[in-house]
Amino acid sequence: MTVPVCLTLFLPLLGSALLAVFGRLLPRRLSGALACLSIAGSLAGAVWAWAALAASGEPKAVLHLADWFSAGGLTVSASVLLNPLSVMMAVMVSFVSLIIHIHSVWFMREDNGFVRYFCYLNLFVFFMQSIVLAEDLVFLFLGWEGVGFCSFSLIGFWFTDPDKVLAGRKAFLVTRIGDVAFLAAIALLFRETGGLGLEHVAAVAPHLAPSLVTLLGLLFLWAAAGKSAQLPLLVWLPDAMAGPSPVSALIHAATMVTAGVYLLIRVFPLLSLSPVAMGAVAAVGAFTAFMAACSALAQHDIKRVLAWSTISQVGYMVLGIGAGDPGGSFFHLLVHAFFKSLLFMVAGIVIQALHEEHDIFRMGARVRRVVPGAALAFFCGAAALAGLPPFAGFFSKGRVLESALALAETQHGFWMLIWAVGTATALLTAIYSFRVFLLAFTGKPELVPQTGTEKTPGPMLHVLWPLALLAVAAGLLNLPEHAAHIMGAPAGWLDGLLHAVPGMGHAPAHEANVERTAEFIDAGLAVLGLLLALALYGPWRAHRHPAEHRGLPAVLEDGFWLDRLYMTAVARPYRAAADVVWRRADDGTMDAAALGLGRTALRAGGRMRRWTSGRLSNYLLWLLVGVVTIIVFLAAVGAR
Amino acid sequence: MIVPLEHVLIFAAAMFFIGLAAVVARRNLIMILLGVEVMLNAAGVAFVGGALRWWALEGQAVVLFIMGVAAAEIAVGLTLVVYAWRRTGNLSPDAFDRLKG
Repeated sequence: MTVPVCLTLFLPLLGSALLAVFGRLLPRRLSGALACLSIAGSLAGAVWAWAALAASGEPKAVLHLADWFSAGGLTVSASVLLNPLSVMMAVMVSFVSLIIHIHSVWFMREDNGFVRYFCYLNLFVFFMQSIVLAEDLVFLFLGWEGVGFCSFSLIGFWFTDPDKVLAGRKAFLVTRIGDVAFLAAIALLFRETGGLGLEHVAAVAPHLAPSLVTLLGLLFLWAAAGKSAQLPLLVWLPDAMAGPSPVSALIHAATMVTAGVYLLIRVFPLLSLSPVAMGAVAAVGAFTAFMAACSALAQHDIKRVLAWSTISQVGYMVLGIGAGDPGGSFFHLLVHAFFKSLLFMVAGIVIQALHEEHDIFRMGARVRRVVPGAALAFFCGAAALAGLPPFAGFFSKGRVLESALALAETQHGFWMLIWAVGTATALLTAIYSFRVFLLAFTGKPELVPQTGTEKTPGPMLHVLWPLALLAVAAGLLNLPEHAAHIMGAPAGWLDGLLHAVPGMGHAPAHEANVERTAEFIDAGLAVLGLLLALALYGPWRAHRHPAEHRGLPAVLEDGFWLDRLYMTAVARPYRAAADVVWRRADDGTMDAAALGLGRTALRAGGRMRRWTSGRLSNYLLWLLVGVVTIIVFLAAVGAR
Repeated sequence: MIVPLEHVLIFAAAMFFIGLAAVVARRNLIMILLGVEVMLNAAGVAFVGGALRWWALEGQAVVLFIMGVAAAEIAVGLTLVVYAWRRTGNLSPDAFDRLKG
């Protein structure tokens, strides 16, 4: 099993290294093909690893690839934990990456940084696969930081634009705040249990003190909140849209952003032991989902709508974990990866076809003429996002809400609130999904487009059809019982596979009527959202462009002023403090001392200059004085 | 030894200070060089006095070295003086103050 795992992990790294070293010598087409091939190899490796794991009949396999380092009783190794969860995630990551790589070959066709782009993209896949496969938490952390670096480089990919560089820096700094908690959790785990393997953690977790487990759970939640853009660390993701659209699709929608969720699923055996941590996870997920959905309602920029919707959907995944259903959460993660990367790439095509026009109020039906087929692909994605039955999102989101409702049935109060917030979010999701679709692809915008249009290469769109198909049909992966009965398809295929993973694969235990209720509510809300969006933004309505938002919409568009709050409450005081340190402490004390010393030496030297008259006679006179002094001194002392 | 060592040393010291006075006081490079010669020879006299007093021939040998050094020194010194005279037409030591700080 080592060979396929090594292929999965190291082929992208090899591709990245080759591109970094030889990329400039290769023809463009060849370097693009090289990048795609390494990812295709990674996909093949992941599928092979899955097959090997299934053939071995074991529920899991721990592979020791190499020792990394050992210090002070801590031995860190590059070890891999294969179980149905990680192989499926690896397959999903490499599959989505492959499609995005192929798409990028056309998307970046005129960009000067072609090779640099693919080098980072390949490197990203390597780090992401490390997160997915790692057994050792330090190895996982390597991938965790690595994807952060790649995300930073790719957000600021067009580095001549200061805004984009700033967005990259912001993403880097905010996610770093989350990473601190991850490091703290690792340190705490090592001190308390003496080992950092996921298997080890799962084994010792039941013997730890409850308060310690809660603390660890909250630390992991904070780390996940940084990476997955959850409250309160979500401000970086909307700005991260400064990068190229395929990057947004890969990193800021399908894979890296869900790494936090994946981490929580991986440490679920520990997390599930603390009701407080689980409650916090659910609350963070629910309120992030709601808040982000509200913000998505008011955005003008097509990519920002999708960014806020990503935050909102990741909130659902976190909510699912908090509700004790990581299987459902993982299901939503997979489905979301398919439809959201599809949406982002279609948006990228549209933006490119309209010469960098991001404003949905300036798009309208003409887009369908310029990019035929894009509307259909986008509709598949938007309907999945909205949870319209029978698109994939309906089943995955429904599963998460069902788990929350099942908890609300037995434990009222808090869980009822969580479920209500999640359900309200479902309505908002449907409204904003269809709003962006209707505005961007139908109707005649009141505003004249500011830019021209161009034909985009066909393959850029054609390569997305597998994703569109999955957005429509991925619900088949994990159908609930009665829906499977109606459709005549097997139920709970994903649950069956995940059954071997501790804590996963159990559909939430409840009576059948809970399931029905949840599904009726979700389906009703999705249809209601579609109707509302049609009424508000239907193609027959003249879209008045709200030039300047005021009041509530402005607050929503700004993401509840969270960004401004951090700017005034954190960034500005920090900068002011840095200024004080710089001017007072550094310039005023350290530098002043050094400069003062230099000035004193200079002044002393100036005084001494007068002595060097350059006249021989003076020097000789002083020589005489010196000699006489010495002789007198010697005479006086030597006499004794 | 007929002449007592003290007398020789006093004579040498007198010669030394005469030379030193010439070096410090004169305003002509040649006379300064002359003063240096006198000082060197004063040292030589002191060595000879010492050699006679203790019957050690090293003292007289050193005098030979001093003579050699003096000859070399005056050769170089006079060359420089001639050069300085050609360049500036002036032999006053105070005329050369280009090393003034």
